[in-house]
Amino acid sequence: MAMLKMEEWYDLARETNWTPSYVTEDELFPLPMSNNFDIPVSTWESFDEPYKVSYRDYVKSQRDKDVGAYSVKAALARSDFFKKASPHWKALLALHFSAVCWAEFHSASAFGRMTRFSRSPGMRNMATFGTLDEIRHGQIQIYFAYEFLKHDGVFDWCHKSSKTENWIIISLRHALDDIAHTRDATSAAIMLNMGLEQSFTNLQFVALSADAAKCGDHSFATMLQSIQTDEARHAQIGEPMVRIMCENGKKAEAQQLVEIAFWRMWKQFSALSGIGMDYYTPLEHRENSLKDFMDEWVIGQFGRTIEALGLDLPWYWDYLQYDISTFHHAQQIGVYVYRATQWWRPIACVSPAEREWLESKYPGWNETYGKCWDVVIENIRNGDFEKTVPAPPPLICNMCGLEVSGIAGDHWKSVDHQVELDNRLYHFCSPVCKWIFEIEPSRYKGHASIIDRCFDGTIGTGPDDFYEYMGHSFAERGVDGYDYEWIDGYDTPQRAAE
Amino acid sequence: MSVEPQGMKTWSKLATNKRRPSEYEIVTTNLQTRHRHREQAYELSPAPDLAMNQWYKENVFDSPLQHHDWEEFRDPDALIYRVYTRTQDVQEDYIDGLLDEHNEIDHDASLSAEWLDALERLYTPRRYVQSALQLGGAYLLQIAPASTITTCAGFQEGDELRWLSRTAYRTQELKNAHPTCGFGIKERTYWEDDPAWQGLRELLEKSLIAYDWGESFVAINLVAKPAADETLRELGAAGRHYGDHLLALLVDNQLRDSDRSRRWSAQLVGFCREVDGNTAVIDGWIEKWMPLARTAIESYCDALPESEGAAASAVARVEAFHRSLGLKD
Repeated sequence: MAMLKMEEWYDLARETNWTPSYVTEDELFPLPMSNNFDIPVSTWESFDEPYKVSYRDYVKSQRDKDVGAYSVKAALARSDFFKKASPHWKALLALHFSAVCWAEFHSASAFGRMTRFSRSPGMRNMATFGTLDEIRHGQIQIYFAYEFLKHDGVFDWCHKSSKTENWIIISLRHALDDIAHTRDATSAAIMLNMGLEQSFTNLQFVALSADAAKCGDHSFATMLQSIQTDEARHAQIGEPMVRIMCENGKKAEAQQLVEIAFWRMWKQFSALSGIGMDYYTPLEHRENSLKDFMDEWVIGQFGRTIEALGLDLPWYWDYLQYDISTFHHAQQIGVYVYRATQWWRPIACVSPAEREWLESKYPGWNETYGKCWDVVIENIRNGDFEKTVPAPPPLICNMCGLEVSGIAGDHWKSVDHQVELDNRLYHFCSPVCKWIFEIEPSRYKGHASIIDRCFDGTIGTGPDDFYEYMGHSFAERGVDGYDYEWIDGYDTPQRAAE
Repeated sequence: MSVEPQGMKTWSKLATNKRRPSEYEIVTTNLQTRHRHREQAYELSPAPDLAMNQWYKENVFDSPLQHHDWEEFRDPDALIYRVYTRTQDVQEDYIDGLLDEHNEIDHDASLSAEWLDALERLYTPRRYVQSALQLGGAYLLQIAPASTITTCAGFQEGDELRWLSRTAYRTQELKNAHPTCGFGIKERTYWEDDPAWQGLRELLEKSLIAYDWGESFVAINLVAKPAADETLRELGAAGRHYGDHLLALLVDNQLRDSDRSRRWSAQLVGFCREVDGNTAVIDGWIEKWMPLARTAIESYCDALPESEGAAASAVARVEAFHRSLGLKD
């Protein structure tokens, strides 16, 4: 072959900046879409992606990947895997697919922002691949999810959830819109790639695909691994961006962007992946807990990455360690007891054997969150099902949109971090969510949480109004995925004793 | 007993379709979140407190181009990612073959000095055109009000990078064969200063700042891109007169991608025309942008050697494309 090697022509494809003269620079790269952070364009042009790929090689490798992934999908269609899957695994699949299909597709637009409004030609080309990748991730995942729809209508939410006002969807949209879709190209590149792709997608995709393989769901596992290879490539946009910021006197700005984005994504992954890993994954297939994965992949690996880039560990690193062991346990209680507000069938996952596992991974769990579950269990055993659903609405954080919780147990004290602004009281689940709000209140102050909407008249007061507002028909209100049969595990020893 | 779930035949939002949904519809519709609330496209403070919500409100919800349900738009090619990469991989194989064969026969050494001057001035600077069109596609996809439109624009952006890359590739080959020419060195200067390019540069720069999403679509996809593509077609035609069959074949292949852009763009125009008033809006924008396009085509084509009448032909083809949209019915 008399072909040029990629490195011979690649730099020419990155020499594409020009000086406009028929419009001004500010018109072509306006706020709020573009922000140079007062760093010269020539410096941004030095952006050098660590992993280089040509369009030619991109379409070839992506085609090959899809052949592999979709052949597994075809096998899935012929198997009766789903019929045999436990309610545990079904809940996990429904939660995952309903949250990620539109979220990933949405990211295509964030990469579009980076391409259109960045001054780094190399980054623009990488972000073009990022856009294509995210179209792929939306499409491949929703196609896999579609396979389950004929078995179970909850998977309709993989398609419809994007435009609903369900409280979990609002929470996820708020986080993603904050870090990726309402920021200038530079900030979005740093926040999306450092705060999400490089830190947490490993958690969702690598960890979950390992669990999936153990559960016999090889289609899910193969697809997740295939997605992760894309994420790992385009996530590399973040590092050179941070390096340029740090080397040009903008470390503090980069540090803040990473800290905001990382925390916002941590809250989402804590609730979604945390519940998925420590509760919904069938016990016999669980090895590592959320905490185990966080210690290895995030506290360890991501921490080293950001320090190597010249950033400091986030100021809240100690608080994060506390949150890793606590937040998602409280969220699991909330998701279960308010299960009618979920589109899938939540499961408790606190059988005696599961509690033993939780206690081993999170020493003290039985004396804290376990006490809360004791009350739920007692009510179910007494047939007082209505008592398992709290009458008062939860307090929802005005940043992450999740429940303000704290550590359950005899000394349960949930700490509501508050800010009063313009005669409105805002509630936060943590000092970090509050800190993010106070950095730029105008970004956040006009948003109403789902509970705020109940009180400001947005949502009616009729018995069905709340559900209709969220997009739930009566049949779409979550019920216990096991129809409470998991409680049998508590009856057996008692009967034996009797 | 665990709860027995009830299955569904298809997504509830597609259930009223008369036909069984295709894979395209299953995986491309309703995946966008931002087109819900006029003041609050994004889940943060409403406009005007959050600048991005203000931007979306002004440029999409308040655009002169209106439709009651943008999500109903469908790409006539029903193109999905896995078909896009498969199709383009085959096309790239073909391009690799072309480049390899012509390199083997020392094609670039056979080019005349007169034609090399034309390539240096009028071909290799085209990577800036591709870059501008890449930016245009990237804006459209991030602002479009439906996932089916975003997907079309995403593949179009990919195409622009494809030809940006191939132009860079050819630039390096020509530089290797003719190191004393300006290949790989003078492109930016030509693009910024040569009179042949100034019309296209003005058209592209100005269309890139048409931030209203509807006007952006018209300015880029119905005017600037077709105009740029028609100048490319004339360049390829001139190449044939100078024995540069490689360039002509590359241009032919690039225009295949552009044809796809025109197909979905025409479909979107037809979709918009279902709503009263949109025809006049689109027609008005075309009228507004065509003078710049005519100037752009003329200034470029007039510089092409062996190309008498090229500008008129190129303009006529852009106008024929506009007539095919049925706006003047």
